Amino acid sequence: MLDNQVKNELIQIIGKDRYLDRPEELACYAYDAFLVESEPEAVIFPETTKEVSDILKTASKFKIPVTGRGAGTSVCGAPVPIKHGIVLCFSKMDKIIEVNTRDRYIIVQPGVVNADVQKALAPFKFFYPPDPASMSTSTIGGNIAQNAGGPRCLKYGVTIDYVLGMEVVLASGDIIRFGSKNVKDVTGYKLSSLFCGSEGTLGIITEAILKVLPMPETVKTLMVTFDDLDNTAKAVTDIIGSGIIPVAMELMDNLTLNAIEDVANLGLDRNAAGSLIIEIDGVKEACEKEMKQIIDKVRKNGAIHVQEATSDLEREKLWTARRSAYGVFAKLAPDIISEDVTVPVSKVPLMIRKIIEITDKYGLKVGVLAHAGDGNMHPMIPADRANKEEWKKVETAFSEIFQAAAELDGTLSGEHGIGLAKSAYLPLVMNKNTIEFMKKIKQAIDPDSILNPGKFV
Amino acid sequence: MTKEMLQNCGKCGLCLNACPVYKLLKEEQASPRAKLQLIKAYDNNTLASSALLKEIVSKCLMCGSCTANCPSGIDHYSKFMEMRKKMVEDQGETPAIKSLIYLLAREYRIKFGANLARAGQKILPDSFAENYKLGNIPLNNFPTLNTTPFRKASDTIILPDKKQVGTVLYFTGCATNYLYDDTGFATIGILKHMGYKIIIPEDQTCCSIPLLFHGAADKAFKNITTNINAFKNHDVDAVLVDCSTCGEALKNEYPRLIENQGQNPFDTKKIASKVMDILSFIDQHFDRLEFDSTLVEKLSVTYHAPCHTKNNFGAHIIAENLIKKLPFLTYKRTPDFDECCGGGGTFFYEYPDVSKKMVDKKIENAKAVRATYWLTDCPVCRMNLAGNLNNNDNLQVLHPVTIIHSALKQI
Repeated sequence: MLDNQVKNELIQIIGKDRYLDRPEELACYAYDAFLVESEPEAVIFPETTKEVSDILKTASKFKIPVTGRGAGTSVCGAPVPIKHGIVLCFSKMDKIIEVNTRDRYIIVQPGVVNADVQKALAPFKFFYPPDPASMSTSTIGGNIAQNAGGPRCLKYGVTIDYVLGMEVVLASGDIIRFGSKNVKDVTGYKLSSLFCGSEGTLGIITEAILKVLPMPETVKTLMVTFDDLDNTAKAVTDIIGSGIIPVAMELMDNLTLNAIEDVANLGLDRNAAGSLIIEIDGVKEACEKEMKQIIDKVRKNGAIHVQEATSDLEREKLWTARRSAYGVFAKLAPDIISEDVTVPVSKVPLMIRKIIEITDKYGLKVGVLAHAGDGNMHPMIPADRANKEEWKKVETAFSEIFQAAAELDGTLSGEHGIGLAKSAYLPLVMNKNTIEFMKKIKQAIDPDSILNPGKFV
Repeated sequence: MTKEMLQNCGKCGLCLNACPVYKLLKEEQASPRAKLQLIKAYDNNTLASSALLKEIVSKCLMCGSCTANCPSGIDHYSKFMEMRKKMVEDQGETPAIKSLIYLLAREYRIKFGANLARAGQKILPDSFAENYKLGNIPLNNFPTLNTTPFRKASDTIILPDKKQVGTVLYFTGCATNYLYDDTGFATIGILKHMGYKIIIPEDQTCCSIPLLFHGAADKAFKNITTNINAFKNHDVDAVLVDCSTCGEALKNEYPRLIENQGQNPFDTKKIASKVMDILSFIDQHFDRLEFDSTLVEKLSVTYHAPCHTKNNFGAHIIAENLIKKLPFLTYKRTPDFDECCGGGGTFFYEYPDVSKKMVDKKIENAKAVRATYWLTDCPVCRMNLAGNLNNNDNLQVLHPVTIIHSALKQI
């Protein structure tokens, strides 16, 4: 519980209805989709930038930790208030301020749900490309803080590629605005790159100008199965290597396909060793030509079954299968740990072999799932945290997977972020000076380290 | 046991935007994920029982949308029911809910209550009715009770109008029996018209869902046994319900509860396998319907899909397609036709503020499409939607069977 003086000051700003601190309520803000839990001392729901600024002024004065939260769908513990203090929950600061498809942008408050951005753009036949699996629930503020990706980021890029401008409240309570409504803007430092992916450690996002794109004329989706996982991976590098850039190339192994089929009953091939969902979009004629080339490539790599979705319903079914993967894995054991190591696409087959080799060594089950076209792997290990011996193996296996990715010129995280999950592994991909440099930036903006303390910096 | 069952929520958060209460309140503690976390904490003794804990876990419509959207296939329903039971044991229940449970636990009490209420309606001064509300619904907007309970007014065995093609059992539920007999008579009329012999077992009683939702599992069990005994000895083509919540009980909850009690589930499962909502049944045998060809002017209707139709039977799309197929109707879909109205059994009574916001949004959208009739196949939704309309809204809420029945060709 916060000190009464602090509490009173905060209630002065926000009113008592948007201030929670009873134990039953605090317990609900201790977690995200990651494993570690830690309760805040208060939860505050701001609705305006001014409120956020005033809250941070108070927090600064009393040196109270402040951790931002959207919908709490992060899978790395980013919004978990590990040092307690205040959780600033943005779910009620959720207005769409302007939709302007003529100038190709949308301005939103941080609590707007990704899917609601899509809904607002759909009537104009526009869309916002970043599509994390949590898009039905996750908020833009969280998406930006984590620099979220998703399947179609293979072609379209991740969140940072769509942030034109932002309003951010600093730890001091000062409000800064940078970027603009212009697609081209090279005025000053590219500050959006600093805050996007900062995981709430540098400032609190209170507004964002996002770039939006017109919806493609045609979308084509293909489901391909293989009787060999290595061939599945080789097909991916072959297609990307030939210059075709699909929207998405989702790889699922046998365990993943079966886990999904057990729950969702979608008619997936239970015997396939590997499968790819490949989606392309664009002008109809170009799509048809590319589709032929892709089918040719997968056949050359030993595809045993190739099926094109013939209707929106069929297409939706394939994506439902893919999107449910994380959840169905959660069913296999009391806990699930999934990471997002990423390697250059030519190294995907090697990385998959490594993942299997490592998990085999420790006798662990693994589901291999990947946004394979951009080398973004999602090995998922179902296990039981209560089983200390097994859990130790899981931790060791993951540290070896991170090590393996680093050796293949890969990186720790393709889209989830670092949070609590991977901060210990930063030295694998960053030298000491670089980590020091990040610390210096943090020190300069947030000298008392009140913003999401205890995380990677 | 409970501990293992609860550990497999991956906390992915996909239930948040499936949950009508979360979507409105935008606070994590209103979400299904949070409820599971709190139940886990309570079971592990890290969180003590409290009035607030009871309120948080009960502030739920039991609509099943979380379960329907859960990639891990978690059975929120059973977990919430079990927790509600514990909370009632720990924290007690409000007098109003207690008396509801008392009433629904015995058929003679329901009858007695209905009689009293009917008498009450006659003597209630209008000024009183206009100024008072039950939950979010003004008293004078409540439906009036059937003058005679539907099951008393109709025969136990009803023969078809034409050559018999089959036999069905009809589980009428309390709402049709005591409040909305128009639904009951229309259902019978349609089935007769289609050539079905209808059996309405006399001994049937409340399906028990309200009891289960309010933690009165022991009382519920008596009703369940009564209903199974009333239905098990008939060899029929289908067991029909006009309320999808009753249907959910017969189809999913009964077999589970009977098995949990260590009893032989054979009869229960046999009944469960035949349970079907009336609209799906009509849709399946649509070619047996003959409509009055003299109807020229089309009626414009919109549809509200009840959560339990959507989440337990997946039948809201069937219902919608059926309505679209009817030659005498013009169907106008609202953008939120399948979103919860906030009725939720007794939710509208227990959490009127939340409920009112949900229903007002539905009403606004329904008025915008300018339909004459608002069709819905759940009595609580009907009561909630109709109860919150104003007299000058020019929108009448009905069960789809009533409108279908009125357009059938007289044989």
